[in-house]
Amino acid sequence: MLYYTDVAVIGGGVIGSAIARELSRYDLSVSVLERNPDVVCETSGRNSAVVHGGFAYDTGTLKARLCVEGNQMMDTLSRELGFPFIRCGKVLVGNTDEDMEQLERTMAQGFRNGASGLEIIDGSRLHELVPAVNGAFALFSSRSGILDPFLFTIGLAENAAENGVRYFLEHEVERIGREDGRYLIASGDDLFSAEWVINAAGLGARRISDMLGITGYRVIGSKGNYLVLDKRLSSLLPMPVYPVPSNTYMGIHVTPTVDGNVTVGPDAINTDDFSYYGVPSDKMAFLQESASVLWPHIRRRDVIRTFSGILPKWVDAEGRIQDFRIEIRDDIAPKAVNLIGIESPGLTAAVPIARHVISLMRERTELHLRELFDPVRKASRRFASMSDEERGMAIAEDPLHGHMVCSCEEVTEADIIAAIHNPLGVSTITGIKYRTRAMMGGCQGGFCQMKIEQLIEKETGKKAEDVCYMRSGSWLLAGKMRKA
Amino acid sequence: MASCREDEEGLRMIESRDVVIIGGGPAGLAAAVELDKRGIHDVVLLEREHELGGILRQCIHDGFGLSRFGESLSGPEYAQRFIDEVRERGIEYHTDSTVTSLSPERIVKVVTPSGLYIYKAKAVILAMGCKERSRGSVMIPGERPAGVFTAGTAQAYMNIYNRMPGRSVIILGSGDIGLIMARRLTLEGCSVKAVFEIQDHPNGLDRNISQCLDDYGIPLYLRHTVTDIHGRERLEGVTVSEVDGNMVPIPGTEEYHPCDTLILSVGLRPENDLIKDAGIEIDEKTSGAAVDENLMTSVPGIFSSGNVLHVHDLVDFVSLESERLAAGVASFIGGGLAHDRTLQVIAGNGVAHVVPQHLCSSSAFSLSFRVRSLSSDSVVRVRQGDRVIVEKRHRRLNPAEMVNVDIAAGSIGKEGNVEVEVV
Amino acid sequence: MRKCFTCVICPNGCRLEVEADGGTISVTGNLCPRGVEYANEEITDPKRTIASSVLVDGGVMEIASVRLDKAVSKSLIFPIMDVIKALHVAAPVHIGDVIIHDILSSGADLIATRNVEARQ
Repeated sequence: MLYYTDVAVIGGGVIGSAIARELSRYDLSVSVLERNPDVVCETSGRNSAVVHGGFAYDTGTLKARLCVEGNQMMDTLSRELGFPFIRCGKVLVGNTDEDMEQLERTMAQGFRNGASGLEIIDGSRLHELVPAVNGAFALFSSRSGILDPFLFTIGLAENAAENGVRYFLEHEVERIGREDGRYLIASGDDLFSAEWVINAAGLGARRISDMLGITGYRVIGSKGNYLVLDKRLSSLLPMPVYPVPSNTYMGIHVTPTVDGNVTVGPDAINTDDFSYYGVPSDKMAFLQESASVLWPHIRRRDVIRTFSGILPKWVDAEGRIQDFRIEIRDDIAPKAVNLIGIESPGLTAAVPIARHVISLMRERTELHLRELFDPVRKASRRFASMSDEERGMAIAEDPLHGHMVCSCEEVTEADIIAAIHNPLGVSTITGIKYRTRAMMGGCQGGFCQMKIEQLIEKETGKKAEDVCYMRSGSWLLAGKMRKA
Repeated sequence: MASCREDEEGLRMIESRDVVIIGGGPAGLAAAVELDKRGIHDVVLLEREHELGGILRQCIHDGFGLSRFGESLSGPEYAQRFIDEVRERGIEYHTDSTVTSLSPERIVKVVTPSGLYIYKAKAVILAMGCKERSRGSVMIPGERPAGVFTAGTAQAYMNIYNRMPGRSVIILGSGDIGLIMARRLTLEGCSVKAVFEIQDHPNGLDRNISQCLDDYGIPLYLRHTVTDIHGRERLEGVTVSEVDGNMVPIPGTEEYHPCDTLILSVGLRPENDLIKDAGIEIDEKTSGAAVDENLMTSVPGIFSSGNVLHVHDLVDFVSLESERLAAGVASFIGGGLAHDRTLQVIAGNGVAHVVPQHLCSSSAFSLSFRVRSLSSDSVVRVRQGDRVIVEKRHRRLNPAEMVNVDIAAGSIGKEGNVEVEVV
Repeated sequence: MRKCFTCVICPNGCRLEVEADGGTISVTGNLCPRGVEYANEEITDPKRTIASSVLVDGGVMEIASVRLDKAVSKSLIFPIMDVIKALHVAAPVHIGDVIIHDILSSGADLIATRNVEARQ
């Protein structure tokens, strides 16, 4: 099928969806082409989920400026999109004179970058803030925080969809041509004719850049492995605890999640394989050892799962990590916005990145605001976040809220059904997991995955063998055992 | 729920009961029936699923009830005997009722399709059963494709929901559910290639090794484990390695086995989230509550039995344990139960864990424990200081089988901890 | 012929060594006479039970669990499974209902082991 669209955004992760949502403020038709069956299958959902303060980047870089801006707007975004965000602060812990010098340099750089709420604190203040930490002093960043990276990305995407953006899931871009001043984008049986193309393909951005004719970028993958710990430990960690950073690597840290777990990671291992997320056993042991220096509470029996993510880093010929590259090459690919090396702090900076993209477009074309844009995502509230009174009322309104499907995370049948009917049309098992938190608790879906699979079949009319776990082709079941 | 008193908001119903039983599986059902027999009628049993029976509903193989009923029943049949008795006795129960919190004051919050209920109970019985250890908790390295299931999840897919988890199967862990599933999958036409067990002895009962694996020519490899998982979308295969005496994989022994399904039967753990909420003392060894001889936890009036207390291998013993618990609950309601924990019971040499962990009196009770390793012709000894209370020679001791020892009334003295050991 | 297997009659799990020579069988490793009995049966005509599921038409669940009410000759397991896989039964199904009497002339009945009520 041939689709006409004003803007084709390639990649539906946190950057592509932030761009799509910002574009939906304007009188434009916008299509997002995402190769996976959901928007959180790659880097957007695979990170520390920390909202950065903006102090750990070279002054004058996009990373520094857009991160500081993103940090400032996170409260508003959280309200509009309904994702959990906690401005809990964070500490970077040191012990030696060199550590102190580096932290002071980092703080000064932070102030130059426009970050606020930074102070060096002594050991007693540090232990007041985080009693269970090891360290003599710290840089405390009161404006840092944590968020739910899945729901942030999903919130941006679903709000974009609610404002008219069309999502084409499982649409991997195979070719981009240019004809009569428009781009022709081929994906499977579909063709998209677009005036503008935005390359927000994250790990795939270099490939798309090549298709646009903008060649020569060197992008390396930096793989980070993580451990996830049981909720038992969250009381010992009120905020993320980091070692002393450099401007290119934050170090292995321990981070509370908005849902009360703790993550440990990431190591940072260069890789050319942008699709291998396996976590090797030696890395698990290494993470546990390294992070225990800061926070000595990591025991094997508390590990409930592991995961990994890959950051696409743009490097120069000597391998030095570069800034975000956000450009329009009028000479090579007019009306194509090319984003390269969008790594950390891309999550924090996603919306400022989107606004920066639009400012580049507006230097070249006029965009008109629409009146109908609604920044508030229409998602229903999760049962788990309700007070007793609200729960009572929710059940009275919809008795399916009285059917607990996932008791570990208190996710009800009404929550699951609402998630299955999301505006993007995502119906994978992990799609439901990220939208509801079902299957993320102690039993890891042991008691509820079957019920969720049944609800997906019932609500979407899919056959058992067509239900996918996460990616295209990740069939969950071989079908029915006894066929009628 | 009939006689409800609604509070100001009109949406929370607060009720009082002598006993609230959390969980309608074998432990909760047996406790409910036994309480009723003992004249405790102001009881409510709460079950989160749509029907009573717990995990027994999906255990369709037979072999249940040999001790309790003297015949070999399937799981659903075993459960139904108790369900029928609960119904005949008119014991109040509610399905689709999920307990979301429990306080040390024995206030129980319940989510149901007819509203949010709050019970104030004189006694609470924890009978929530256990959960399976998952991939994350055994930290299997590798990718995360579809096709990795715990044995119980695969069992529910097949036996309750009529869905096939896959076609070509490797099983990690020789727990009973894994063995049962090996046979079930084979009978359904799957190719079950092998069972790998990291320990040097099988984790399941001999009967199941023989009838679920040997009968179908499915090989069992001891001292082997899965060290890598391959496949980006659906599972494509696993790497299996031999392990050394410390269960550490030996480099160079890796072997790749193609399969589309990996079934994990790597152990069970008490479903103890609510226990943590209520601030109940937990035994790190069992992961369940630490209880006294009446199966009362560290919080007065909160009792525990069955797999949420410690993981059993035979449901018959879950029922028996819960019936003993009911006796203690009845005495507690009647006001005549000592609960000053004066002595400890210690898992000594060769013993992995023991229940109860504490003693309050010298009344008769039953000790349940698991040994650490296989042995033959060894002696189980229960002693208080140097004084031997019970000593028994066992032909064979197997970590896969729980051992029960009855202690007679008056045999425990007032001073000195009690120790169970294998010598 | 020499065979080794575990006696499954009781939890002792004796490791039986069986020497079968024509009509005579000698058993070692057993702690009690039941081991000899079990070994005899295992050599001459081993017997097993089966548990499985059958399709239910018009029920609140798609399937009902079933089992054989007594052990049958091991050689009948797969033929009986073929029968079970092809079966449809109409709801309601109740525990103990005989689905097939004397299935494949094995002497065993196939009985339902759970209740599946009819869909409203």
